[in-house]
Amino acid sequence: MPEAASRAPSTPAETVVTVRGLTKVFKDFWGRAKARAVDNVDFEVRRGEVFGLLGPNGSGKSTTVKLILGLLNPTKGRIEVFGHSTRHVATKARIGYLPEESYLYRYLNSHETLDFFGNLFHLPKDQRENRSEQLLEMVGLSQTRTRAVGEFSKGMQRRIGLAQALINDPDLVILDEPTSGLDPIGCREVKDLILALARRGKTVILSSHLLSDVEDVCDRVVIYYGGKIQAQGTLGDLLAKPDSVRITSPILPRETMERLLEIIRRDVASDRVRVDTPTQNLESYFLNVVQAARQAAAETSGATSGARVAPYLRGDGDGKAGGEKLLERLTLPQERPAPAAAAAPAETVDRQKLEALTHPTAPAPITPAAAAKPQELEQANEKLSNLLGKPKE
Amino acid sequence: MNQAGGAIFRLLGQLARRFAVFPWLVRVVFGQPVAAVMGLTWKAAFRFRLFLVVSVLLLASVVALPLLIKDDGTARGFTQILLTYTLTTISALLGLSTLWLACGTLARDIEECQIQVVAVKPVARWQIWLGKWLGLVSLNAALLALAGLCVFVLLQWRATRLSPAEQEVLHREVLVARGSARAPSLEADIDHDTDQVLKERLQKNPVSNADLNEVRKQVREQVKAVYQVVPPGYMREWKIDMGSGRRLAAGRPFQVRIKFNSADRSPSGTFNGLWAVGAPPKTPVQRLEPMRLAPDTFHEFEVPSSLVDDTGILTLTFLNGNDTALLFPLEDGMEVLYREGGFALNFARGLGIIFCWMALLATIGLAAASFLSFPVAAFFSMGMLTLALSSGTLANAVSEGTLGGYNAEKGTPGHTAVDTVAIPVFQGVLAVINLAKQFSPIESLSSGRSITWGQLALAFSQIVLLLGGVFAVIGVAAFSRRELATAQGTQ
Repeated sequence: MPEAASRAPSTPAETVVTVRGLTKVFKDFWGRAKARAVDNVDFEVRRGEVFGLLGPNGSGKSTTVKLILGLLNPTKGRIEVFGHSTRHVATKARIGYLPEESYLYRYLNSHETLDFFGNLFHLPKDQRENRSEQLLEMVGLSQTRTRAVGEFSKGMQRRIGLAQALINDPDLVILDEPTSGLDPIGCREVKDLILALARRGKTVILSSHLLSDVEDVCDRVVIYYGGKIQAQGTLGDLLAKPDSVRITSPILPRETMERLLEIIRRDVASDRVRVDTPTQNLESYFLNVVQAARQAAAETSGATSGARVAPYLRGDGDGKAGGEKLLERLTLPQERPAPAAAAAPAETVDRQKLEALTHPTAPAPITPAAAAKPQELEQANEKLSNLLGKPKE
Repeated sequence: MNQAGGAIFRLLGQLARRFAVFPWLVRVVFGQPVAAVMGLTWKAAFRFRLFLVVSVLLLASVVALPLLIKDDGTARGFTQILLTYTLTTISALLGLSTLWLACGTLARDIEECQIQVVAVKPVARWQIWLGKWLGLVSLNAALLALAGLCVFVLLQWRATRLSPAEQEVLHREVLVARGSARAPSLEADIDHDTDQVLKERLQKNPVSNADLNEVRKQVREQVKAVYQVVPPGYMREWKIDMGSGRRLAAGRPFQVRIKFNSADRSPSGTFNGLWAVGAPPKTPVQRLEPMRLAPDTFHEFEVPSSLVDDTGILTLTFLNGNDTALLFPLEDGMEVLYREGGFALNFARGLGIIFCWMALLATIGLAAASFLSFPVAAFFSMGMLTLALSSGTLANAVSEGTLGGYNAEKGTPGHTAVDTVAIPVFQGVLAVINLAKQFSPIESLSSGRSITWGQLALAFSQIVLLLGGVFAVIGVAAFSRRELATAQGTQ
């Protein structure tokens, strides 16, 4: 389908996915009900939002995703994607899908894989080549483009799976457990990518049981349990504690702190006031360690960090005119709605900023200066290796 | 040799051009996604070394078979057997690998979940199915062309090592495309006579309705035998309309191909045959040298094409100078063959019919995999193939009108309740199977008979379009309705 035709102008409130009374019952050979995987589910996904399907294993998230994609037929209910049935072939030109496992052809190499899927989207040869190169660069597999996908580690397969989901520059990206099998750097990059896509007005549906994934990137979530939606809304609505407030500042002199507490205690009982030092999460810590190791030029046979979102996904590629790019920059929101989590992740680690922020509180984080000390770096690496498991070669 | 070499190079050139154009053609006609899925099937066949293994097996069979087969010692006999065995082996090997690959390429994609990533792209389910099918048939075409080319080269090479006289016989009787002319069908006369005899018998000895069919069958066999038999000391004459054969022969002699049976054995194993050609006063008569011929096998001898009369009729007369009756079967007892064209093109057309069979097997395999898991689909497809190959048993049951058989001595009634259902079903199954089995390219090639463009077109229509079309519709419908995400992946 021609891309231009598939990019119909959308209103800001356009509903991309509508799910009404969706029920899926899996049956056995004799038609007897085996499991009610999804039970009378209703939700809508609007253009430009990152929508999370959250729930424990077996709660019905992946089944919902497969129903939306037309890979399963609903027992009851109705699904519309871009206003069409899930079997509408032309609509699929606007969708990118990463399944929960990277179901790729093991005998194709990375480049052939992307070329094959590009062909399914009717992309011309030069565009397929261009996008494949950019995507391989983005997911850090440009050095393994001729290796068969079957030889890849699970994480590398997830990366190439993610690349194939984006080959068509989709308007709706459906990611089922996108960070499963990825190392923390890969997880961070995927989340950055999701945010970058959302900035371009793309709609993302993220299915995950990892709370941090959802919390970091999603605007709105539904929480599944037993095939039913138990809660839904924006993260702000769901997580906010309207009866509490939190103030964060650099380290203050003791006297200032005491004065502050005294003022607060005039209005609030002492046992309801808490003072603590915010800690960095493991992900940030890990990223710092790896960044330092990368500076020490350690070699790897696996995936390298892509870090940069493919230009065409940022809206820079595919020969867009300068005016169009400028228009896009002006019309698209520059700031994402802040996720409810207190520590919104930065897209890339700004080490200078990090150093400035962490320097006064010497004990916890490793600074680049500290990273230069081989012994400490080694200890940190070992600690993380034990924690995360040895990477596959 | 120069002629053969030229033909080989022309064939190679045609193949190269054809395969360079084919993917482009698929892309233009069916679209980019179909071409991509087709290409994927090729890549799978190469990366999993299926192409290599099947090629080696095919080539080994072409090379090894000549070392193993026993023949009648003549170059003609050896070539006929070589053609029959190699082409049969190639068909069997390719047929099995086609079924296996056809079941695997779709069923495994579904079981290993790759199809989930493909089916969510803007490609209709029928396009995925068609892409797989085109991949399979193009792969088959390449393998068949490779194996066929080897057989062709082998035959030409062997021919060059024969004496000029043997080469002449070979190119006249085997490595040639010959048209065929037969005597007019006598079926209507036989039926008429059968009815008359039956009527007379029934007037004398009435039989029950249950046995009437059996009695009629027996009477018909007797009547038919009268038309076929040449009693001792009697003559039998055949008048054969040569049609366009006279023009095509262009002065070259005809080959008369005969076969007869005998109820008695001759001490020498052979019988005398006295033949005369021509019908005075329209044409001169030529008596052929007396021949001693073995029964139950085919014999060929030449007769001058100038002995055809003005109306295009060739008259052949046989005098039975033996002490026993000889029986010339109506189906294949008498036939006149004439040169219609060269061997290379005929061979290519024969391979074309084999290719139609392979295309049908690919369709059956894919159709089975569209709604069954890989092992079940493979079992189902092999079952279908076995059923088709054992259609002789079905044909026997249909001709006897019963599954149990009729015991003439005990007078056991042949018909049971099961037969009333089974026999019509068998007839239907046979009719369907015969749509594909009625073509016999291997037999035609080994006996130097012409396979016409018309036969090839008919084979394509019946085997690929009609039978294949039915299976394809079933397969595509099943695949389009199937839920593709019920498997959990077995990678």
